[in-house]
Amino acid sequence: MFEFVNEASEPIKSDLMTVNMGPQHPATHGVLRVEIQTDSEVVARATPHIGYLHRCMEKHCEHLDYRGVIPFTDRLDYLAAMNMEWTYVLAVEKMLKTEVPIRAEYVRVIIGELQRIASHLMFFGTYAIDLGAFTPFLYAFQDRENILRIFEEVSGARLLYNYIWVGGVWNDLTDDHLVRIENFLETFEESIKKYHKLVGENQIFISRTAHVGVISKDQVYDYGLTGPVLRGSGIDWDLRKNRPYSIYDKFEFDVIKGEGLKGQLGDCWDRYYVRMMEMHESIKIIRQALAGIEAGPVMGKVPKIIKPAKGEVYMRTECPRGELGIHLVSDGTKVPYRLKVKSSCFTHVSALGEMAPGMLIADLVASIGSIDIVLGEVDR
Amino acid sequence: MHNEVASFIDSKVSGANATVNNPENGDSSVSVDASKILEVCQALKNGEHEYNVLQVISAVDYVDYLELVYILASFSKNTELLLKVKLDRGNDNNLPSLESVTSVWSAANWQEREAYDMMGIRFNNHPDHRRILTPDDWEGYPLRKDYIVQEKYHDMVVNPEAKVNTADHMFMKKLKETYPDPKKVSGSWKSDDGDAAESEA
Repeated sequence: MFEFVNEASEPIKSDLMTVNMGPQHPATHGVLRVEIQTDSEVVARATPHIGYLHRCMEKHCEHLDYRGVIPFTDRLDYLAAMNMEWTYVLAVEKMLKTEVPIRAEYVRVIIGELQRIASHLMFFGTYAIDLGAFTPFLYAFQDRENILRIFEEVSGARLLYNYIWVGGVWNDLTDDHLVRIENFLETFEESIKKYHKLVGENQIFISRTAHVGVISKDQVYDYGLTGPVLRGSGIDWDLRKNRPYSIYDKFEFDVIKGEGLKGQLGDCWDRYYVRMMEMHESIKIIRQALAGIEAGPVMGKVPKIIKPAKGEVYMRTECPRGELGIHLVSDGTKVPYRLKVKSSCFTHVSALGEMAPGMLIADLVASIGSIDIVLGEVDR
Repeated sequence: MHNEVASFIDSKVSGANATVNNPENGDSSVSVDASKILEVCQALKNGEHEYNVLQVISAVDYVDYLELVYILASFSKNTELLLKVKLDRGNDNNLPSLESVTSVWSAANWQEREAYDMMGIRFNNHPDHRRILTPDDWEGYPLRKDYIVQEKYHDMVVNPEAKVNTADHMFMKKLKETYPDPKKVSGSWKSDDGDAAESEA
């Protein structure tokens, strides 16, 4: 007769298994490798490894003149290149104390906010793909294409523009462009509501994102997280509002923050919600800018060779993915002595290790998507 | 504001020697003694100035010495502070070191790893002291001004002859001639005229 002897008196334990997610993995949005130690489907520990796209851009910038750096800043966050170059240019202008013509400021705001919309649309599309829905991606790209087409006409490039220059912008927006932007906003405002209904209110999407990847307020400050991630955790902070640069103090708009509508405060759904609603705020800002824009030059007086006096500045602006900071050191010559980029994506990835333990692998994918990283900015 | 911060640091941490730098151009900053950085950061975070966020740690190589710039921000008081410490350059076997501030802000973890990776500064009591952007067995610290890239990495030639952009070499050569202090020009490759050996020394 068969006798079953249970030798293990202790409860059954499973071994941890190490799995590499990436560097080539569609859910990591580029070349990020996350080393995951899993207990069956549950993540016990996740260690992000970065550097696969490291180009040492900061070293390159040390032997380029101040204008030559601008195309390199495009390649940081290539989905929001306008905001990247804007930050760098603001740092140089702060150093030179350059006056920028008022029309150029308006053009910068219009372009910068359009870029924010394009970038958030990219998030919307790819995040839906991460969670298994393909259609939103096509919707997002359709609208993003309209913005890129305007950018292409005005700057000559679709993604890496070299458009915002020290002292102003390279090319003026024509009246035709302004009308087209206005028309685009009109249709876009309707479609964005539709998209939010399609994805954000979808029960499957809510189940995948609510209560997942929660970041508390303390963690936000501890890790120095910024942008939609910070606001998703319910903190009322936006550089455009709290430390206005350029002419942002002229515009009326709200700071969107997460409220834990579908789940917990600071979960993936809140971060998604902040980005979707921010597009509405961008539309508001662009409309005000279109109404207020005046005729005039778009390029101020800048010396032929830019040679800022000795000193250093730190400039930070609100980019689509968070605060970008530029620490620029000049030694009085025509090349920057040191350029340090404070990348928001870099800090966001660093928090991943703390977010991950205890969640399912599929939730990790949702979390990585919700902090919306671009590896070009992480690795520089 | 910087004077207040400096006197606050001096009152809280003895021996920090906080001094205010007010350059003619650009942002002002506060310098403190490198050995007291942890205490100073703790005081700044918990004290009345409430610097609750570490934005970035930026390391600058001034050839004679290295400088770390801790850029702090207060989200409650809406202020910014550039906190500086000076460090000796050291050499490959004896890297400059100071106390890690990871216990104060978790954000310092990766920022310090980057400073170690790019500038060769050691942080004592760091929980995870590894390189971050370059591979673990990479040699040298790329953002130092005297850095020269290794010739071979795992039997792979780093800068194959056929792929080197000679225009860069020309530009570097020109820059070295026109720059006031040629030592401060940093290309990471060996040039033909032997000035690489000079800058290594």
